[in-house]
Amino acid sequence: MLKYYFIIFFLIFTLIPASEARVYLDINAPTFVQIPIVLAKWKSVDKTPPSLSEKVYEILANDLTLSGFFKVIDVHQLPPSLQGKEGIPPTDFLREWIPAGGEILLAGEALLEPSGPNFKLKFHLVDLVVQKHIVGKQYEGPLQTLRPAIHRIADEVILQITGEKGVHNTKIAYEVRQGAGKEIFIADFDGANVKQITKNQSINLSPVWSPDGKKIAFTSYLKRNPDLYLIDADGKNLQRFSYYPGLNVSPSWSPDGKQIALMMGKEGKSDIFLMDIHGSNLKKVTKGHGNEASPTWSPEGEWIAFVSDRSGSPQIYITGRDGSEVRRLTFEGNYNTNPSWSPKGNQIAFCGRAEGRFHIFTIGSNGSGLRRLTSNSGSHESPCWSPDGRYIAFSSNRTGASKIFIMNANGFNQRALTSSKGGESSPTWSKRFD
Amino acid sequence: MVRKSFIITILILCIGLILMGCPKKTVVKDEPSVKKEEPAAAAKKAEAERIAKEKEARAREREETTKKELEKSLVTKQEPGIEGVVFESSLLKDIYFDFDKYDVRPEDALILKENAALLKKYPNVKIQIEGHCDERGTNEYNLALGERRANSTKNYLASLGISPERISIISYGEEKPLDPGHDEEAWAKNRRAHTIITAK
Repeated sequence: MLKYYFIIFFLIFTLIPASEARVYLDINAPTFVQIPIVLAKWKSVDKTPPSLSEKVYEILANDLTLSGFFKVIDVHQLPPSLQGKEGIPPTDFLREWIPAGGEILLAGEALLEPSGPNFKLKFHLVDLVVQKHIVGKQYEGPLQTLRPAIHRIADEVILQITGEKGVHNTKIAYEVRQGAGKEIFIADFDGANVKQITKNQSINLSPVWSPDGKKIAFTSYLKRNPDLYLIDADGKNLQRFSYYPGLNVSPSWSPDGKQIALMMGKEGKSDIFLMDIHGSNLKKVTKGHGNEASPTWSPEGEWIAFVSDRSGSPQIYITGRDGSEVRRLTFEGNYNTNPSWSPKGNQIAFCGRAEGRFHIFTIGSNGSGLRRLTSNSGSHESPCWSPDGRYIAFSSNRTGASKIFIMNANGFNQRALTSSKGGESSPTWSKRFD
Repeated sequence: MVRKSFIITILILCIGLILMGCPKKTVVKDEPSVKKEEPAAAAKKAEAERIAKEKEARAREREETTKKELEKSLVTKQEPGIEGVVFESSLLKDIYFDFDKYDVRPEDALILKENAALLKKYPNVKIQIEGHCDERGTNEYNLALGERRANSTKNYLASLGISPERISIISYGEEKPLDPGHDEEAWAKNRRAHTIITAK
């Protein structure tokens, strides 16, 4: 994995102390109005080719749009007098930007060092309502780290506006159907850098990131049994990890990275087991007579949510990691599966059947506040949370072949991850890589 | 196994009888009278032997034919990315399941009885039962369901006298549909337990 190194060169303006920090957008509100943000044209400094600042601008505008928190006002939507203005406006000239129609202004400049392949990106974030600078920073690094550096600017903007930084430097792993098999792929949050991780023509299923983002656990039929494997995120060091006859599937890494919960068919039906990351200390967690499936850890690692059909239909249950204090979470509907515990701990997303189709729901981890997030035709499966708990990725066949979609956790702003033709399923979200 | 030990037992008994019979040989006096009846009895015996032999030959032939039949029905199957060469036979029939169910339906029990009868004829054949699901529902829950379908099929065959050691199971969940369609007709075909031969 490419090691990012940026240097935050200097703070041009000191950050507003936390006590005074203003949260412009409360994204936890069930509905929120997107904040209009003006993106002034970026300037290429000195002999820097214009293509660099254009590229930065394009990626940044896309990032802010994808976040779902902003209504981006780009150069083409500006009054003609402002369209030609590029770079960071001096404080005395902020007033000029009022007619742009935004509450926030993001402006910046890019420099390519003549001496080496290093860039410098400088940006200012301005509150146009009170005519004050919010923050200004400069990042520099070698050119191959340009994209992550731009994502960091977007993350910083989101931090200033919402109180928590964004997830633009995260990746999503997923399955892609190829012939009779499935391979594991990864892509950036914005759908860029699509990479194939497995190339074995087998059926490779249910990828999940290790909490440190270095490895992916998944199931493969390579040895004519659904065995659990580990692989480095760059596709190297394939390791056969759990290979009891029968199921070794649906891994979920404990938040401390020390254990993996998985479904195993050791005893003639699927049960939830725990295993440490050295492959030892196998422990059975579930005691029911039903099919037990799809374990997911609470963020503190105390609880595991899972699916069981012990009541006659698949429903979501919660158990202590030692198998104690089992309780049923879902009571509505007769087919609730694929739980995913939010990183904030208060919600569980799952796939439930409603009106003959499968939809993504969230429910409080205490069983309250059931909410359906998808309404399009087609089926929606396999929800998983972003590390900040603000987005949910899932698979949907609403446009034909199944594709990975991302939405804000309130169900708004649904978009396909990549522009591929589809055949994608089982998304899983990495930690932040910065 | 059973047959072999049976033959051995008969052999031991025969040898025993011969050994026991040896000393008596000298006291057999009315041999001529036995000999008198010989032609008719011998003919009867020969006839019986001939019939038995014929019967045996026919049985052997039948067995050979079915063996050939199985041999003929085998199709080699090698899948990319999945280890091993296996065989499929049209003589081993699939069974089907209801949505979200894994119990063997009465009409499918008859199919499993036929499969079991075939397996009894070929004690060396080892099989793997694949549990499959339709595309509805989530992949992971379907893997659990496929495992149950394969296991209930295995258990049924075991109840019919097939050694569980000859049967392995594998769940493919919804990953290997037989019919790629998206309607009830396709789904019904895909909710199946399929048998492959892993050793002849």
